[in-house]
Amino acid sequence: MADTEALISLRHVGKSFKDGQVRALQDISFDVHPGEFISLVGPSGCGKTTLLRLINGLIEPDEGDVRVLGKRPQPGPDLAMVFQSARLLPWRTVMGNIEFALALRGLSRKEQSQRALALLGAVGLRDFADAYPHELSGGMQQRVGLARALAVEPKVLLMDEPFAALDAMTREVLRGELLQMWSRRRMAIVFVTHDIDEAILLSQRVILLRPRPGRIDEIIDVDLPEPRWQHDPRTLPAFADMRAHLWGRIHEMARDGAELEELAAAFPDLEPAQMGRQ
Amino acid sequence: MTEMATPPLSRAEPERHPAPPLTDASAAALAARARQRRLRESVTIIGVQLLIALLLLAGMYALNATAGNLTMPHPMAVLNQSIKMWSDGTMLRALGETLTVLSLGFLLAAATGIGLGILLGGFRFAGRIFDPFVNAMNSTPGAAFIPLIIVWFGLYTEAKVVVVWNAAMFPILINTAAGISNANKDLVEMARAFGATRANLFWKVMVPDALPSILSGLRIGAAVSTVGTVIAELTMAQSGLGGLLIAAGNRFQMDRYFAVVIVLMALGTLITALLRYAENRVSRWRLTLADGR
Ligand SMILES: Nc1ncnc2c1ncn2[C@@H]1O[C@H](COP(=O)(O)OP(=O)(O)OP(=O)(O)O)[C@@H](O)[C@H]1O
Ligand SMILES: [Mg+2]
Repeated sequence: MADTEALISLRHVGKSFKDGQVRALQDISFDVHPGEFISLVGPSGCGKTTLLRLINGLIEPDEGDVRVLGKRPQPGPDLAMVFQSARLLPWRTVMGNIEFALALRGLSRKEQSQRALALLGAVGLRDFADAYPHELSGGMQQRVGLARALAVEPKVLLMDEPFAALDAMTREVLRGELLQMWSRRRMAIVFVTHDIDEAILLSQRVILLRPRPGRIDEIIDVDLPEPRWQHDPRTLPAFADMRAHLWGRIHEMARDGAELEELAAAFPDLEPAQMGRQ
Repeated sequence: MTEMATPPLSRAEPERHPAPPLTDASAAALAARARQRRLRESVTIIGVQLLIALLLLAGMYALNATAGNLTMPHPMAVLNQSIKMWSDGTMLRALGETLTVLSLGFLLAAATGIGLGILLGGFRFAGRIFDPFVNAMNSTPGAAFIPLIIVWFGLYTEAKVVVVWNAAMFPILINTAAGISNANKDLVEMARAFGATRANLFWKVMVPDALPSILSGLRIGAAVSTVGTVIAELTMAQSGLGGLLIAAGNRFQMDRYFAVVIVLMALGTLITALLRYAENRVSRWRLTLADGR
């Protein structure tokens, strides 16, 4: 039933929490092909992180079907995740953190340290191999998180707002590095962000989600000249058009949900989705 | 939420390199200044501590002079008694007995407390079942069980070890279990996302994350062990430092009594210092974090 050439395929996926009280996702269907870079954007709470967890196999869908490489996803060698905070083991060195992921893949000690060093070189942190995470800046920690994910040579790289906690300058640099890394290795990337510009800038397709419950609002193909780390597309009219279009959709969403927003402000403790059920 | 400027997505080289190394001369000057500051701090601290010790000693003299030997022995008498008890082997024998009970009880408590704590913290279901029982045991004073332990195990070394074990195990168990069940959820999810098996998750993430908590459990357990040992020695067959203490007290030999108290103080301080050292070593990353280096 799933498209044979799709790396990831979701069909009518739904997911609820708290015994069905919170409907996080509803009827999500899309495919990701090998080597494709897609972004998931949408307001806070629309289920982006939940979607990544489903693709990673950390949680199971209540409805529909998630397939990665034709199988039900299992956390393991085909997938790797980069989180918003780097989530490094504080008692291990930078090197040890990368080796941790490689050891889970069953590599020998020697292969582990070789590959960890190579990856640290790739993210420009070779001199910090023996440093502990707290000795690094936020941007450097995030680089280690990226190196750890790349070290396992995943077919799919899942990224949950990896640059959101960084300052604008570091973010800009890391975006460029990510694009270069991707063009060299060509794994598929599913990139979650709530920064519209970032989504257009990086990805080949943008999937816009709307909240309560999380559904697909629109899927937009981004047809901008490659490679984008060389030709910054932000000056192009096409970029501005896409940006305006996406913001338009989001403002519409906000208008549709205006009543709900008011309610949400009045009862900040209530789950948005609970109110949505009325 | 969006940046207005549109610089090219090039890699900014400066961010990729570590800060340039300081020149040897300026680095040495910085290090020397830091050393000096630390030295000055320690000198001040030790100076004030000596002053307080001297004040205490002066207080002893004053109390002895005004209220007599029974209220407060003369410091020199305490010193003389100490020398006598150490040289005739009384103190050494008592210390040996105390250390035997203390270390056996503590090691037993550490082994069982950590073992059970890992089980109860790691297996939520078991943890929930045993929670009220552990709490009940933990909140009952260890001394309450002494009559029962005397009936079951007698009055001698093995019974005293049981007293110490019973008192020290629960704080260790509770700290271990709490450390494991409160292990950082983000790190656990990270490890799961990278395909960690349950065993890996447990031994490579949750237990290391709980280590500082386990060590503070051990530190509390050691303090409780010292108290438990002395109480057992006072109330069961008199032996060890506790035995010397009560024998001297009963005969109003306050100089002898104080000589024993000083040894107990030193013992307790030493044990706590050792465990704190171990704690610092294991969780060095956490401490440097707190220092804000
Ligand atoms: N483990 C959980 N238990 C209960 N509710 C959950 C859980 N995980 C997610 N939810 C709910 O599901 C909805 C979607 O959450 P999710 O974290 O996926 O949003 P998100 O799009 O990643 O938001 P953000 O942009 O703020 O990170 C939210 O309403 C949230 O409260
Ligand atoms: Mg999220």
